[in-house]
Amino acid sequence: MTGGSSRDQLARMLTLVPYLHGRDGIPVKQVAQDFGVSTKQIVKDLNVLWFCGLPQAMPGEMIDVDMDALELDGIVRIDNADYLDRPLRLDRGEAAALIVALRTLRASSTQAQSDVIDGVLAKLEALVGELATSPAHVHVEEADPVVQDTLTRALAEHEAVRITYATPARDEVTERTIEPLRLFAAQGRRFVEAWCRRVDDLRTFRLDRIETAEPTGDHYEPREVAPEAMSEGTFRVGEQTPSAVLDLRPDAHWLTEYYDVEHVGEPEPDVVRIRLHGSTMDWLRRLVLRNGGAVTVVEPRELAEAVTATAAQALAAYDEQTSPHEEN
Amino acid sequence: MVARKTERLMNLVIALLVSRQFLTKDRIRQVVEGYRDQSDEAFDRMFERDKDELREIGIVIETGSHDKLFDDEVGYRISRGDFELGDIDLTPEEAAVVGLAGRVWEHAGLAGESGQALVKLKAAGIEVDDRVLSMVEPRLSANEPSFDAVWDAATRRVPISFEYQRPGREPSTRHVQPWGVLSWHGRWYLAGFDVDRDAPRVFRLTRVTGDVTRTGAPGSYDVPADLDLKALAHELFPAPAVEPARLRVRRGRGNSLRRTAQSTVPVDDEWDEIMVAYASPWELASEAASFGPDVVVLEPEDVRAQTVARLRAAAEEATR
Repeated sequence: MTGGSSRDQLARMLTLVPYLHGRDGIPVKQVAQDFGVSTKQIVKDLNVLWFCGLPQAMPGEMIDVDMDALELDGIVRIDNADYLDRPLRLDRGEAAALIVALRTLRASSTQAQSDVIDGVLAKLEALVGELATSPAHVHVEEADPVVQDTLTRALAEHEAVRITYATPARDEVTERTIEPLRLFAAQGRRFVEAWCRRVDDLRTFRLDRIETAEPTGDHYEPREVAPEAMSEGTFRVGEQTPSAVLDLRPDAHWLTEYYDVEHVGEPEPDVVRIRLHGSTMDWLRRLVLRNGGAVTVVEPRELAEAVTATAAQALAAYDEQTSPHEEN
Repeated sequence: MVARKTERLMNLVIALLVSRQFLTKDRIRQVVEGYRDQSDEAFDRMFERDKDELREIGIVIETGSHDKLFDDEVGYRISRGDFELGDIDLTPEEAAVVGLAGRVWEHAGLAGESGQALVKLKAAGIEVDDRVLSMVEPRLSANEPSFDAVWDAATRRVPISFEYQRPGREPSTRHVQPWGVLSWHGRWYLAGFDVDRDAPRVFRLTRVTGDVTRTGAPGSYDVPADLDLKALAHELFPAPAVEPARLRVRRGRGNSLRRTAQSTVPVDDEWDEIMVAYASPWELASEAASFGPDVVVLEPEDVRAQTVARLRAAAEEATR
């Protein structure tokens, strides 16, 4: 509803009239927010609406917009529009977008919540009839329902939670007390954004990496956090972010689609040279080990050395730790 | 200009909606401000375009005639049953859920669509206060340039063609009847019937290069009645983990493997032995190799051999 064309404006006004009809005066700011346009646009719409009405209506019989209330108090009030008291039905695009959103919400929810969402979906599907097809499926990875329930309740009641969390970039498990600020799902995973008392800063945790979550009984005052400080759930690259230049053989070409990589060149046929960022050098080392043979380190030197050393140690562990049954 | 046209369209909608009779073109020209002072020709053109505008926003215009004596003259009207959103009654909690759903899309076009749906529900009398809910709020975005065209084609059943480029292969032109789109870990896929290969196929949208071309009319093919996009998604992506493997893991390390362990038994002060289930030997060997000396695969032999091969290659090749 952001477009300024007549068609967009007409669609908006056909919703605006019943929206205002059912409410006795509403702040123009609220109207603009609900319609996702500027207050200036709403005022423009109202100025058009003023000239609309029943066929052959006299000037005084048009839709009545209370311009005084608008100018003096920023309140929108209309009258004389009883014949437009219901909005236009949902069209195919609107129905599809909302139904896919609801199904995705359901895929991210707890069991108790999914019953409510099912109720909404049933009512909405009955409302839109044959348009109720969902052209999309959004996969959301499972998370431990106990962990999600605990965090959901903690968020609602502002209760701090003690969690044990596995940090993959460092392969370590830490215990921390967090104050949940919001729960979200992005990139097919569930996350909690929280104030972490251990580091005294904002942190995002993936729910499937939270091993245990215990309510503490300690209630907190939710912190004010600027929206731009909120995480996107995705990895962000900064100036200090470690990176490496790697050569990928065909078996590892899929990495170029899986991660955001910078193409550096093709040093030989079938070998792609890229720069890849990682949250830690350790994470990059693990990525090269994981793809041993298909990924080669070009730089930095320390990474190449770390990979060789770790692999050699691992091979030694295999020599020592042959299955104990064989040793006997 | 925009304001005068909107005013005319709005008055046309009202006239057609409140009339019980079919309104003839002449009558419409008389009662709708903005048509009256046009020449015959200009009015004809304007009226045709205006009807198209109304249809574009989903308004159904009926044509017919009530006058049995002069039934050669076609009239127009809008039926309230076709026009109006039906009754919907939501509990405050259900209304809050709809409010959250209205915020799921971050993709501009679909955020607009779901926002319009939400405000229509508000206009139908639903009061939305979504602050009362504590829920995991999903967010959906789409950065693939082809997403809009593919979504539109899947929604309206429009056959399409596009250039498809897999890494390391020559691009090829594909002809597809879209069934639906899938989102997997933030990436979008198109599922549909590949006309050239005469079989269902899934396409990754990042591999669609250039423009998506429509090759037929909306609704010109059928989507299988038993289509289950969710099932299709699961067929395409990792199989369930069922094979058992025995690993030795250094205490406090190998945490991604420990988290999925079915059992953990201490071996000594330094090592635990864990049992995990896996689907693909390749995946498990990758994961085990990534932990270096902190994880040793004991069984099965093929995973163990693949892990050692991975490590040997890393030891030799990393510095090449």
